[in-house]
Amino acid sequence: MKKIYVHPLPVRVWHWVNAAGFVALIVTGLQIRYVGVFDFMPFRAAVQWHNWIGFVLIANFFVWLGFYLFTDKIRVYHPELNPMEHFRGSMRQLQYYGYGLFKGDPNPFHISAYRKFNPVQSMTYQVVMMILVPVQFFTGVVLWDTRMFSGVIEFFGGIRVVDTIHVLIFIFFVSYIIIHAYMGALGHTPSAHYKAMFTGWEEAEETGEARH
Amino acid sequence: MDPALTRNGLENRGNTARLGALIAAFLGLAAAAHTVVAAAPEAKAAAQTVAKLSDADNTCLACHSFEGMEKKFASGEKLSLQVLGASFAQSVHASAGCAGCHADVDVAKHPGPAKKFKTAREHSLAFTGVCRNCHEDKFKLYEGSVHEKLLKSGVDAAPVCTDCHNPHSVKARAALASISGVSCRKCHEPIFDAYAASMHGTARGKLGHSAAPICADCHRAHDIGFAGASDRLKAACLGCHQGVADVHARWLPNAARHLDVIACAACHSPAAERKVDLRLVESGTQARVAEGDGNAELENRLAAADKDGKGIDAIELWNVLREINRDRGEGRTTLRGRLEVRTGVQAHQLADKSQALRTCETCHRQGADPFQNVSVSIIGVDGRPLRQEVQKEVLTSVLSVDSMGGFYAVGGTRIKLLDLLLVLSVLGGLAVPVGHQMLRWMVRRHLRLQAEAARAAAGAAAGGEASGGPSGPGASRAPGK
Ligand code: HEC
Ligand code: HEC
Ligand code: HEC
Ligand code: HEC
Ligand code: HEC
Ligand code: HEC
Ligand code: HEC
Repeated sequence: MKKIYVHPLPVRVWHWVNAAGFVALIVTGLQIRYVGVFDFMPFRAAVQWHNWIGFVLIANFFVWLGFYLFTDKIRVYHPELNPMEHFRGSMRQLQYYGYGLFKGDPNPFHISAYRKFNPVQSMTYQVVMMILVPVQFFTGVVLWDTRMFSGVIEFFGGIRVVDTIHVLIFIFFVSYIIIHAYMGALGHTPSAHYKAMFTGWEEAEETGEARH
Repeated sequence: MDPALTRNGLENRGNTARLGALIAAFLGLAAAAHTVVAAAPEAKAAAQTVAKLSDADNTCLACHSFEGMEKKFASGEKLSLQVLGASFAQSVHASAGCAGCHADVDVAKHPGPAKKFKTAREHSLAFTGVCRNCHEDKFKLYEGSVHEKLLKSGVDAAPVCTDCHNPHSVKARAALASISGVSCRKCHEPIFDAYAASMHGTARGKLGHSAAPICADCHRAHDIGFAGASDRLKAACLGCHQGVADVHARWLPNAARHLDVIACAACHSPAAERKVDLRLVESGTQARVAEGDGNAELENRLAAADKDGKGIDAIELWNVLREINRDRGEGRTTLRGRLEVRTGVQAHQLADKSQALRTCETCHRQGADPFQNVSVSIIGVDGRPLRQEVQKEVLTSVLSVDSMGGFYAVGGTRIKLLDLLLVLSVLGGLAVPVGHQMLRWMVRRHLRLQAEAARAAAGAAAGGEASGGPSGPGASRAPGK
């Protein structure tokens, strides 16, 4: 077992702020949308918290974006440029999660400082970070001040349309975050990835290095 | 307005309606005995001359100041021909003199043959035209007003000049603007009562606070518009209450939007019930769509859309909008929702700010009262808002994304289908760990059985080596590595 430094400090800070923020946005979002079903805080407070946390997360997003844009670490997001190869990699990975993992097969993916995401992760994270999160932030900001952004709202077909997009992505994130938390526990020990996300150091199989 | 009230207004006007009867007279002349009930000249007090008035006027008053002098119409209605000299002398028209308005009366032949009016109302409508000679400007304003349109469309009870201004005792503007002198009261009694008890009414009445509005300050006196048809009334509120947007922004998120979409009374009339009016508007300008504009028969269409008479449902609404858009031009017409109070009386029950509604949850929850009563409206040919009942489920249907993209109240009008998706998402999210763990258990069991079978097959031969047994989630640590 060898230790590799895969999560630099800014990424770790970003990750946990983001995680806490996501949970808080989901909780306040549920309260905003479901008064009467849930009543753990007043509507007005929920709206205010939701707005503030939203802005914190937007700032946080730029920490993440800035880090990747201004360091060469951005390579972690596009290690495989050949789509066929990427597809094959993804299939291998899914097959591992659905079968190999139980058998005790080795993880087909081997982590390194520049290849920290397996093909499935890499694809999911790109969709989440480059499409869903920005769209969610965008719709959120627009809904925060409907007068200032009335032009934008009209452009997209009205406030209900914008809100529906916001809610659909919210619905996606609810299941996403459950699954994400679970998959985090699929390391070589249940807490391995969690620990790594705090310390920055991931334990990796020795042989993995050979495939680098 | 309540129709009973309208009729009441008409009846009440018996005492204001008069005239024409100049033809008739108390002299007992044969002229038109069938229409005139002559009051005996010897009856009642003797005519007093009024010093301030001209001789000509006093000549008229010599007869017309007698009480009981009246004219009878074919309808059986009676019209008093009495004119009180003293109050005429005090009226703004004293200087005009009787002849200023009754120029058609030729004193020498007076009273001439009866003019044929079937009712006092007919008579009144015919004579109100004299005001035009000197007040053309007010006529211009009055033309196109609610009342004039109603009159033209056959609502006889709608007021003309003389309903609001008694021609023989027209008071100066200041008097018209006092609460006791409100001319609207006789026809809009319930609204007057609501207004008089509101904080504006009490401020104006009891406290003599003349800055507080009376009917005409909000509605205007002559060019009154249909209440729900324009932003004029709101503009009147904002005209006096400047900076209101900022006051609300202090506690209300998205205050500007709220003030756009919610009628002031919906929050400031604490006892009011609320409703949603979905207005057909032009997509670009947000101007209300009027009948006859863009040749789509809107009123008939909306009425026909409601097939079962239970109110237009989501699919019907969506379809009729599509049809309208097909005829008026693609994407031109859309719906914009507005929260209002349900009755005209409620619109006037404004209370002071301590009683104003500030609990978000009143509206932002499913089943909130505003969303239980929904209509769709257009502007009719005469400028009147025409409403058609809509089922409340349209607000929570998934079709609303298309048909009313511009109207959404968080929580209150949330789409039911999205709630279902959320539940599925949570269940789906939870199903992954559960399913994955089950799969793991099954695969391992299968492998173990296989291994056991292999072992058994190996028979008596020396025990084979067991393959990776179930040893916790740390399964990725492959044996042998
Ligand atoms: C400002 C214009 C104006 C002046 C001045 C005026 N009248 Fe009239 N008068 C009217 C109008 C308008 C009516 C019809 C009212 C109605 O029926 O609604 C009328 C009606 C009448 C009638 C019929 C009964 C009635 O009340 O409808 C009599 C009688 C009469 N006027 C007498 C007089 C006398 C006498 C004077 C002068 C002292 C006078 N008027 C001054 C406008 C005027
Ligand atoms: C529905 C009631 C109503 C009707 C109908 C009406 N008025 Fe008035 N009028 C008022 C009121 C109320 C005021 C005073 C309030 C104000 O203008 O602020 C007034 C004021 C006036 C004034 C003085 C206002 C000024 O600005 O100096 C004139 C002149 C006048 N009316 C003439 C007419 C004439 C002429 C007609 C017929 C075309 C008419 N009114 C019809 C209610 C009415
Ligand atoms: C012969 C011209 C004449 C006719 C006809 C006439 N008015 Fe007037 N009216 C006047 C004059 C003059 C004044 C006084 C204006 C002033 O004081 O500024 C006046 C004032 C008024 C005022 C009060 C304005 C104020 O500022 O307080 C009202 C209301 C009014 N008229 C209504 C009527 C109505 C209703 C009729 C028809 C029944 C009518 N007038 C017909 C000449 C006329
Ligand atoms: C002679 C009776 C009469 C007088 C006086 C009168 N109105 Fe009206 N008014 C009516 C009638 C009748 C209607 C039509 C009611 C309806 O269609 O429900 C009406 C309608 C209205 C409407 C439109 C209601 C709507 O559906 O949008 C407004 C606003 C209004 N009046 C305001 C006033 C004001 C303000 C005054 C006083 C300055 C006044 N009225 C004086 C008879 C009167
Ligand atoms: C503070 C401003 C204000 C004052 C003062 C006021 N109104 Fe109104 N009025 C309104 C508003 C706002 C509405 C509702 C508009 C809507 O339906 O969107 C309304 C509606 C009405 C309607 C139409 C009701 C209906 O059934 O649709 C009538 C009639 C009316 N007012 C008459 C009066 C009369 C008469 C007075 C005086 C006693 C008066 N108003 C005073 C603001 C005012
Ligand atoms: C002619 C000017 C005028 C118009 C028009 C007017 N208001 Fe007012 N309003 C006042 C005045 C003056 C007061 C203060 C009354 C007092 O002293 O109690 C007041 C008081 C209020 C208050 C209570 C404020 C407090 O401090 O408690 C509210 C709410 C209000 N108005 C709402 C409205 C609405 C809604 C409209 C339109 C439908 C409107 N006003 C139209 C003059 C106006
Ligand atoms: C969402 C509900 C809501 C709506 C819509 C609303 N108000 Fe208010 N308004 C309030 C509340 C609550 C207060 C009391 C705020 C406070 O005490 O600080 C208030 C306060 C006011 C005051 C007193 C301001 C002061 O100086 O303290 C006025 C005037 C007023 N509103 C006018 C209006 C007018 C005019 C409209 C329509 C254009 C309107 N409001 C729409 C809820 C509302």
